[in-house]
Amino acid sequence: MTSLIPILSLLIFLPLVGALLVFAVRQSGAAARLLALAFGLAEFVLACAPLALDRQAAHFGAPAGFFLYQDHGWIDRFGIRFTLGMDGISLVMVLLTAFITIVAVIASWNVKERQGLYLSLLLALQGAVQGLFLSLDLFLFYLFWEAMLIPMLFLIGVWGTGRPVYSTIKFFLYTFVGSLLMLLAIIALYLMHGAQTGSYTFALPALMHTTVPYQLGLWLFGAFLLSFAIKFPLFPLHTWQPDAYCDAPVAGTLMLASLLSKTAAYGLIRIAYPLFPEASRALTPLIYVVAVIGICYFAWVAFAQRDMKRMLAYSSVSHMGFVALGIAAWSPVAVSGALMQMVNHAITTGALFVVVGMLDERAESRDLSDFGGVWGKVPVLAFFFLVFNMASAGVPGLNNFVSELIVLVGVFKVAPAAALGAFLGSVLTLIYTVRLVQEVLFGKESKPTVLAEVSLREGSVLVLLAVVVVYLGVHPGPVLDLFKAPLELLLNK
Amino acid sequence: MTLTELYCLMPIVITGCAALFVLLCGPLLLSSSLTAIGVTASAAAGIWAAFTAPAPIQCIPGLAFTPLAQLLIPLFSFAAALTLLLSHGYNERRILKGEEYPATVLFALFAMCVLPCATNMLILFLALESVSFAFYILVSMDLNRAESGEAGLKYLLMGAVAAAFTAFGFALIFTGSGTLALSAALARPENRAIISAGWGVLILGMAFKLSLVPAHLWTPDVYQGAPSPVAAFLSTSSKVAAAALLLILLGHFPPMTELRVPLAALSVLSMVLGNLAALRQTNIKRMLAYSSVAHMGYLALALLTGSRDGYAAVLLYGAIYTAMNLAAFGAISSLSFEEEREQLTDFTGIGFSTPVRGGVLALAMISLAGIPPTAGFIGKFFIFYSALKGGIVPLAVVGILSAAASAYFYLRVVAQLYMHRTEAPAPKPVGFAEGLALCAASAAILVIGVYPGPLLEMVETALR
Repeated sequence: MTSLIPILSLLIFLPLVGALLVFAVRQSGAAARLLALAFGLAEFVLACAPLALDRQAAHFGAPAGFFLYQDHGWIDRFGIRFTLGMDGISLVMVLLTAFITIVAVIASWNVKERQGLYLSLLLALQGAVQGLFLSLDLFLFYLFWEAMLIPMLFLIGVWGTGRPVYSTIKFFLYTFVGSLLMLLAIIALYLMHGAQTGSYTFALPALMHTTVPYQLGLWLFGAFLLSFAIKFPLFPLHTWQPDAYCDAPVAGTLMLASLLSKTAAYGLIRIAYPLFPEASRALTPLIYVVAVIGICYFAWVAFAQRDMKRMLAYSSVSHMGFVALGIAAWSPVAVSGALMQMVNHAITTGALFVVVGMLDERAESRDLSDFGGVWGKVPVLAFFFLVFNMASAGVPGLNNFVSELIVLVGVFKVAPAAALGAFLGSVLTLIYTVRLVQEVLFGKESKPTVLAEVSLREGSVLVLLAVVVVYLGVHPGPVLDLFKAPLELLLNK
Repeated sequence: MTLTELYCLMPIVITGCAALFVLLCGPLLLSSSLTAIGVTASAAAGIWAAFTAPAPIQCIPGLAFTPLAQLLIPLFSFAAALTLLLSHGYNERRILKGEEYPATVLFALFAMCVLPCATNMLILFLALESVSFAFYILVSMDLNRAESGEAGLKYLLMGAVAAAFTAFGFALIFTGSGTLALSAALARPENRAIISAGWGVLILGMAFKLSLVPAHLWTPDVYQGAPSPVAAFLSTSSKVAAAALLLILLGHFPPMTELRVPLAALSVLSMVLGNLAALRQTNIKRMLAYSSVAHMGYLALALLTGSRDGYAAVLLYGAIYTAMNLAAFGAISSLSFEEEREQLTDFTGIGFSTPVRGGVLALAMISLAGIPPTAGFIGKFFIFYSALKGGIVPLAVVGILSAAASAYFYLRVVAQLYMHRTEAPAPKPVGFAEGLALCAASAAILVIGVYPGPLLEMVETALR
C-alpha cells in the first residue's frame, strides 16, 4: 500500500490543490466554505491512514525509524532531492496540523470579506506546514519554512484588525532575518559535508554525520537557533508576537499559535539539536535561562493585560517555554514531554483563541472590563471557556497538566533549578487564568450586553476540541508511544 | 563565409534585417504590425539560437557562435520581445507613434546578440556601446514628458564618460597583451601591471553600466524618466550584457588578485547602500532603481569568487533578474494611464481591483525579495552558495542581512496592493499584448522557482 499510494506527497499536495480549487470558486462564499471543509476533512482522513500501517516495518531505502518514505530527484546540480519521511513525531504533527486546520476552517465560517481567498490561503498554509513536518531534505525544509510566510503575510495583512499592515510586516521581517541567516548556515553545512565526504547532499540523515569543528558549530547552531527562537518565540525575540497574534483574524491566530510556533520547536528537535550535538550542549544553559524567563515573565505580563487576545498571546508564549525547557534537557522523558506539550499547547491555546474569537464576534470587544456574568448569559460557551482555561492552567485530568508534568520531571533530573523556576511560572499562570475566568464568567459587567448562545457550528468545534483536551488529559499513552521509537534514535545519535 | 557559418550567425542577421526593415517600411505599416514584426523577429532569433549547436569556429573575423551566446541570445530576445509587447499598449496610451521605437529596440537586440558572439575586444566594445547608444535614444523617446528627455541627457553624459573609461581599459589591456583577439591574448607576467591597470579602469566603466555604488547615481533618475517598458529592458538586458562582457574577459584573463579589494568594495557598497536607499523611496520606479543597484551588488559578489560556480551564479541570476524586473516594470507600465502611475499610493488596493496585474506585481516583489517558491529565491541561493564556497563569508553575511532588510520595501508594495481600505482608480482593462508579456514573465518566475534544473544545466553549458 505504501508503495502504491504516495501518501506523503498527497498530504502536501492535497491542501495545495484544495487551495487552487477554493480560489477558483472564491466568488461564492458557500461553495468555497464547503470545498475548504471537504479538503480539510479529506486531509485529516489521509493523515489518519498511517495509523493503520505497520510502523515497525522498515521502509526500503528509508533512514532508520521512518515507516513512510519518498525520495525523488529534484535539482541535481546541488544534490537537492524531494525527500519526505514520516516517523512517529511527524505523524503526530501531521495529524495535529490536519485537525487544527479543520478547526480553523470552521472558525472562519463567518468571515465577511473575500472568504474564498481567505480559505484558499488557509489551505495553502496547511500544505506548507505539512511539507515542513515531512521533509527530510534540508533545502526542502527551508523552502517550506519560508513559503509558509506568504499565506500568513496575507492572512494577517488583509483580514487583520487593529494595525494589520504594521503587525504583518513586523512578523515577516523578524522571521525573515532569522531565516536568511539559517540559509547561510545550511549552505555552509552542505559545503562542509560535501568537502568531507565528496557527496554533496542536503539529505538530513547524511548531514548528521558531518564533523563540525566546535567553534564553527557554535556559529551554525546559533544561526539555526536564532531562526527557530524567533518563530518560537523565545524571550527576548518575541516582540513581533503579541502584535501579530492580536491583529490576526481568528484562524490566522490559530494557525500562528497552534502550528507555526510548533514548526520552530519541531525544527529544533529534528534538525538543530541532532545536527550540532556539541554546540547545542554548550548553549543549553542559555536556552534554560530564556525558557524559564519566558515562562515567568510572559505569565506576569499576561496578568497585566486587559485585552483578552493579548493576554492569550502572552499566555501562549509562556506555555511554549515548557517546550523549550524540555528540548534543552534533551533526555527521552523531557523531549517526549516537550512534544506532548506541543500537541497540548496547540489544542488548548487554539481552543482559547477560538472561544475568545466567539466572544469578540458577539460583544465586539475583547476588553476584560466589557465582560462579566457570562456564565449566567451563555452557559454553554462559558462552560467551554472554563474548561479550556482550566486546561491551560494545568488542572490535572486535562491535557496540559500531563505534558507540563512530564517536562518538569524530565528537567528536574538534569537541571533542578530550571524546573523549579518553571514550576513557579506555572503558579503565575494559575493566577492570571483564575482572574480571567473570575472576571469574565462571574464578575460584574460594566455595561449590560446581550450575548447569543453558541450555534451548532460553533458548538461542534468546541466539543471536538474539548474531547481532545480531556482525552489527552486522561489517556496520553498512545501519543507518547508514538514518540518513543523516533526519540530513541534521535537522542542516541 | 560558408553556409554553416551564416547559419550560426542567423540571429544577428535576423535582428539586424528586422531593425532595418522596420525603419524603412515603418511609415507604410500599422503600429500593431510593426510590433508583430519586432516580436516575431526577436522570437525567431531567440529560438534559432537556442536550437543551434555552438560552433568554435570564427564565422567572420571577430565573431563566433559561442556557448555563452547560445544562452544569452534567447534571454535577450525574450526581454526584447516582452518589451515590444509591453510598449504596444503603453505607447498607444502615451501617443508615442513612429517606427523608430520598435526599430531602436531591435537595434539594441541586434547589438546584444553580437556581444556574446564577440571573440575580439574591439567587437566587444563596439557591441556594448551600440547597446548603450540604442538606450540613449530609447530613454528619451517620450517627447511629451520633460523627464524623459532629462533622463536621456543624463544617461548620455554619464554614459559617455563611462564609455571613455571602458575604451581606455580595453586599450591598456591591448597594450599588455599585444592583440585584440581574445583567444590569442595572453596575460604576460611582465605586463601584469599594465593589464591590471586596464582591468581597474574597465571595471570603473562597467560599474557604471551595472550601476554599482558609487557609479549608480544616474540609475534612479533614468528609471524614473524613461518610459516604463524601456526601464524594464534597460534594467535587465543592458545589465546582463555588461555582466556578460566581464565574464567573457574573465574567461581569457584570469582574475587579478589586485582587483579583489575594489570589486569587494563595489559589491558591499551596492548591496548595503542600494537596499538602504530603496527603503526610503516613495516612488516605485526609483525604489526599483535602488533595488537594482543592490541586486547588481549580489552579482558582483558572485563575480568576486572568481570561480566557475560564481560565474554560473551570475548568469543564472541575470536570467532570473530579467524575468523578475520585466514582470515588475511590465505590471507598472500596463497599469499606467496617460500619466505614469509611479507613486506607491497610486497602487492602493490595485491588487483587488485588477487582480491579474496586481498579482503579477506582487509576485515580482515577492520574487525580488527572494522568497520561495519563486525564482528569486533560487537565484539568491545560488549567489550565496557560490560566495560561501568561494570563501568570502563576511561579504555573504553582509549581503544576506541587507537582503533581509530589502524585504521591507518589497513588502510595502505588496501591502499597498492588498492591505489598504481605500482604492486608487482602476486602470483600463489589460490589452492582449501586455497580458501575454505579463503572463510569460510570471510563468518564468514560477517555473524557475519550482523547477530550476533545466536552466541550471543551460547555464553550466554556456560556461563550457
